[in-house]
This record gives sequence, C-alpha cells and structure tokens, in this order.
Amino acid sequence: MKKIGVIILFQFLCIGLSAQVVDADLLKVKNRLDSILSFSTQLKLEVDISFINMPVKKAQMFYTKGKRVKFSSDDFVMLPKRGLDFSLNSLLEYSFITVDRGVEMRNGKTYKAINIIPTDKRADFSIATVLIDTKLKRVMETEINTKKDGTYLLTLQYNTEAKILPDKVIVNFEIEKIRIPINFMGKDTELDRKKMKAAGTKTGAIYLTMSNYQIKSVL
Amino acid sequence: MQYLLKAEIFKLFKQSKTYYALGALFSIELLILFSAYYQGTTIIDLLLENLKQKFYFEGTLLNGNLLIYLILNTLWFHLPLILMIVVSGTLTSEYKDRTLQTIMLQPVSKWKYILSKYLVAIAFTLLVVGLLAISSFGLSYAFFGKGDLVVYLNGLNFFDATDAINRLQWSFLSGALSMVFFSVASLTIAILFKEATKTWIVSAFFLILSNILLKVDFGDNWFNQLFFAKLNDTWQYFFYYTINWEQVLFNSILSLVYCLLFMGAGIYWFHKKDIG
Amino acid sequence: MIISGINLTKYYGKRKVLDNVSIGCAAGEICGLLGANGAGKTTLFKILFGLITPDSGQVVLPKHSIKPIGGIIEKPALYEYLNAQDNIHLFASIQGLHLTKQEINANLIKVGLPINRTDKVENFSMGMKQRLGIAIALLNNPTCLVLDEPFTGLDPLGVSSLRKLIADLAEKEQLAIILSSHIIEELSKLCHTLYVLKEGKLVNAGPAQQLIAENTEVYNICADNIKQAECLKNYQVEFKGNCAMVTIAAAEVPHLIHLLDKEQIFITSCTPELSMEKLFETNRSCNIY
Repeated sequence: MKKIGVIILFQFLCIGLSAQVVDADLLKVKNRLDSILSFSTQLKLEVDISFINMPVKKAQMFYTKGKRVKFSSDDFVMLPKRGLDFSLNSLLEYSFITVDRGVEMRNGKTYKAINIIPTDKRADFSIATVLIDTKLKRVMETEINTKKDGTYLLTLQYNTEAKILPDKVIVNFEIEKIRIPINFMGKDTELDRKKMKAAGTKTGAIYLTMSNYQIKSVL
Repeated sequence: MQYLLKAEIFKLFKQSKTYYALGALFSIELLILFSAYYQGTTIIDLLLENLKQKFYFEGTLLNGNLLIYLILNTLWFHLPLILMIVVSGTLTSEYKDRTLQTIMLQPVSKWKYILSKYLVAIAFTLLVVGLLAISSFGLSYAFFGKGDLVVYLNGLNFFDATDAINRLQWSFLSGALSMVFFSVASLTIAILFKEATKTWIVSAFFLILSNILLKVDFGDNWFNQLFFAKLNDTWQYFFYYTINWEQVLFNSILSLVYCLLFMGAGIYWFHKKDIG
Repeated sequence: MIISGINLTKYYGKRKVLDNVSIGCAAGEICGLLGANGAGKTTLFKILFGLITPDSGQVVLPKHSIKPIGGIIEKPALYEYLNAQDNIHLFASIQGLHLTKQEINANLIKVGLPINRTDKVENFSMGMKQRLGIAIALLNNPTCLVLDEPFTGLDPLGVSSLRKLIADLAEKEQLAIILSSHIIEELSKLCHTLYVLKEGKLVNAGPAQQLIAENTEVYNICADNIKQAECLKNYQVEFKGNCAMVTIAAAEVPHLIHLLDKEQIFITSCTPELSMEKLFETNRSCNIY
C-alpha cells in the first residue's frame, strides 16, 4: 500500500512538475531576451494591404523592460498591434503551458515548434506557435491566435547569427475590406458591385525594418 | 485694349456687390473649415474602422491637410455659383443701367469691349480662387497644423504631409480652370439673356446640370471622355496614389478648348447683335 | 450738311417703324425732331448712332474723325456708383483719351457742373445727370450732338438753363445739334430747323419759325380790356379772362395789333398757338434738300 501511495504521489508530482515545466529551449531564448534592459531603434514601415496605399513610414521605437513599448514619429504611422513585442513578454505575461510540436522546415532550415497555451483567462490570445532556432537561440516565427483580433503571423529575420533582436519583421494578418457609403467623400464614379461582394476577409502584411539599434543590456 | 481692361477692373472693384460676394465666399470657407473640423473625427473614425482592430495609430490625421481637402470637396459648387453671379452681373448691370448704350455711343470697338469683359472675368476668377487657396492653407495650418492626409478613393490612400500639400496645390490649380469655364459660360449666358434674373437662373441651372451629369456614367466611350461636365472633376485625379498626368493634361486642355469655344461664341453673338 | 440720314426705313418684324425718312443738320445749326411718343424718334437716332442697322437707306457722317457723333439716347445712362469725375475719366479712357484732373474739371465747367462735388451720381438731380451726359457725349470733340428728349424730367429752371447750354454749344463750338421732343414749345424757342415725324413718316420739315408761322391759325392776344376791342369783331374770337384766342393769319397780326393800339388797347402778350393737327397733317411734300 505504501508503495502504491508513493508511486501515485510520485506520478502526481511528475505530472505537476511537467505541467509547470516550460520548454527548455524557449526558456533559453526568453532568458537571452530578458537580458536586454532597454533598446531603441529606427523603424521603417511598409504597408502591403490591397486597399491601402501608403508610402514608407519612419518611426522610432523605445523598449524598456517591464514597460510598454513606446513609439514616436513625425508622420502618421500605423503600427500592428502584434509583432512589436520582441521580448516574448506579451506571450508569457500570464501563466501558460508549452507543448512541443516537433520540428518544422523553413527555407531549408529546421526549427523547433513550440505551442504556448495560456492557462489564465486574462491572456488575450488562445494559442501561439513559436518557431525557435535552437542553435542560435532566437525566435524565427510566431503565429498568434488572438481572442478578438484574429490571427497574426510574424516572421523574423536577422542579419547576423549573433543578433537576438531582429532586423526585419514581417507581420501577416487578416483584414476585412472596408465598406464605405457611396456618397462619402471622394470620387465615387466607380461602383463595382462584384468587387464589393468579393470583399470579405483578406490578408495583409506589414514589413518592419529595424536599423540603428541602441541596446542596453545586462552584461 | 488695355484701357478697356483697366476700365473693367476699375468698375468691378468700385461696386459694393463685388465685396459682398468676396465676403460671402470667405465666410463660407470659414464655416466649412470649422464644421469640417468638428466632423473630421467622425470621418476619420469611419475610414479607419476596419484598421483599428489590427493597428495602433501614432500621429493625427485630423490636421490642416485633411481640412483643406474637405474644403476642396465642397468648394466647387458654391464658388462657381457666386462667381457666376458676379461675372454675369458685370454685363447684365450694363444692360439694365443702359451704360452699355453710352459706351457704344463712344468710339469703342464692340468685340474688343466684350473681350475685355471676358479677360477681366477670367482674371477675377483666378484671383478669387487664389485668395481662397491662400486663406484655406493659411487658416488650416495656423489652427490645425500639418500632417498626413488620408483620402478614400477606390481604397485608402495615405499621403505624406509634403506630398499632400503638393497635391492640394495642384487641385486648386485644376479647380481654378473649372471655375474659369463656369465664369466664361455665365458671361456668354448674359450675352444671350441680357437681363440679370434670367441670367442667374439659367447659369444656376447650367451649374446644377453640370454637377448632376458629372455623376452619370455614360460608359467608356468618347462622349464620357469629352463631355464638358466630366472635366470638372479633374482635380480628383490628384488624389489617386499614382497621378495620371496624361489624363490630367488631356482634361485640362479640353477644358481650355471649351472655354475658348464659349468665349468665341459669346463674342460673335455680342458683335452681331444690335444694342438697344 | 455735316450729318444726314437719307431715305431711312426700318421694320421691327412686320411693323414699319421708319418709312423713308431723311434728316440732316449743318454745323452751328440746331435741328429739332418733333413727334409724338412712338413716332420713331428714338429709332431714327439709334440708326444715326449706328446702334441699329436700317433696312434701307444710309447715314452720312463726317469722315476722318475718331468720334463724329456724340449724344444721349432716352435718358442719360451713367455709372451711378461712381462720381462725376470718375464717370468722365472712365468714358474718356475707354476711347483712348487721357484726361488730367484739370481737363476733367474743364469738361464739367463747360456743361455747367460744379467741380467740387465728389458724391456718387445717383445723388444727382435729373438736370445734373443730363449735363453730365452731355459732357460725356462731348468727349473727343464730335462735330454733331444728338440729344433724345433732353428736357424730359426737368423743372422750368432746368429747362431754360439747358436750353442756354445747347444754344451756346451750337454757336460757340459750331456743333450740329439734333434734338427731339414731343413738346413743341421746347423746340420752338431753340431750333433753327424743324422736322415733324408722325408714325414713322416725315410729314413736315423746314425752318422752324416758318413752319410755325405756316401752321399757326390762332393767336393768343392778352390785354387788360381786350373784351372791349371793336376790331376783334371781324374775327373768330374766344375770350378767356384777359386773353382772346383770335383765329387770324400770321401776316395779318401786325395790322391787328396796330388797330388795337388805336383803340387804346395795349397788349401785354401775343403768342402763336400752333395747330398740331395742321402741323402733323400727312400727304404733304417735304423738300428740305
């Protein structure tokens, strides 16, 4: 009896322990990111959405650990709600579990796929899939299924192997084509019914190019 | 000829009704500016609704450039209306007061006289549009500052502040050409009808008809390309993301041709008709 | 003849407004055009000015003159929102005349207008507007002046002073002046020659005094005791107060006055009463040329 009791207890402990265990590789990346106290960078934003024409925009991004990211720009800029948090903190804010999904190939390279599932109702996403370069200890791709704002796919590119902060981020998302009343401002002679009906949901993308990183990190 | 021009300019600016018209135009412009500002937030919200889900916005779109754009949108109805009244009045008042007769009793060439009226009408129109442009730029920037411009034209087009200013300036130029067309037309109508009220009614009708026909689509044929009513929208072409300069040039030249046609017809009729 | 219209005919639609009318005036001469309202006076003047084209006939004007003929049609038409000086300056400039301030004032003085009034013409009286109209008509020194019913709307003082101005212009500047009116008294005191227009036709023409004498059958003779005159019993007489309307030929008038004088009846006035019916009688030959 005692033996069974110990085995059961041990199994409980094991289950409990494994439920609390965050994937090791993910942890390594997180720790690496956490070593950054603050950084600032110049952002170049390019919008690629079918019904939007926008010139390339410039902005400055300021990150301080533990605080919200700040932006400044002379012009009007549109910033994707997701995709600007390079520290993974937004995903790991509340309690979560990770599930190893094996490996996935991207451009001939192999990356480890990890699911992050929040266990706290306060989290604003239902599941996220992170592709990690285990060798270089950084995030290559993140797919976030948010609860209210649809799905985002972030692809991160790095210029050198040593970098932890990306040089280019591509944010893909779904977006509904806008429907504006006919008589509203602007030239309104082209009323294409077919196009309007085929509107629906489309995908769009934003290309963020970072340059001139000023990083303060814990040495 | 230059003396006739000077005389026309002198007469135009000595009459109080010219200043009433200018006052009305500037008051309307101010009114539009401030009502556009109060409506501006709603407009921008409507345009950016879909995007709000996915994006944060940094910087404000409710700036001087948007307000100038909104002013531009409404300008091209009330401005030609008032211009037509003033311009046609330069001739109808001479019929009514019979000063036209007194002038024709002097050794003055008929066609030169009416040509000078046309030229002064055109100059006055350009002056008024110029003043409205300067004041709308000045007031909008003074109160609301510069910034990016968003326009809905087959999609959302965002323009940098400098790009926006450029396009707005071109629009005013293009619109000025349309206004010249209406002024010339109103003077020709005055030659036909002579009497002030009839001329106003026919001119207003002409303006309203042009505006209605602007919205009717005649299909993609030569009529749609060449019909004068379609040319009054040329200023809109500057707000497509890529400006179709060829089309703009074509439209502008065609507008000029129409102006010359109306002017020529007016001068011919005036020269042929008996006075009194 | 400095100015003449020869055999002028004009139709408005089917209506014949002028029928073979000829008129002329020499330098220094004042010619009057008499006719009822609607007789065709204004139309004739408009043809002389070149404002409308006749259906037949021609107008002969002095050649080699920038402005051979000046005048006023109907009422003087001026820019009411400008003052007198600006009006003259404006009308002068459009015909290539550059008048200095002194020259403008000289023009005003010539027609008897004050030079110190700077308010708008809309405040002027009718008489002043007429004068200003004449000043504008005289710009560029035309040789002929044509005035359409210039005495309309003027008070008696205005009429007499305008009459003096016109007489002065004819005599001093040697202008050929054509006036029109529907009131004979206005013309009879001023004109050398008279033309009578009825329904578009010229029914009478000739030297003014001669025409008046030929067509006067009644004289209005006034004296304090006229009713007691014996010599008047030989004539058809109508008495009104101290005046007697005597039907008598012009040639006999001096003799009658002599007879009255003999009876110690001293007349205070003797006015010819022009017979309009006789003057406007059609079927007469008018040989002015």
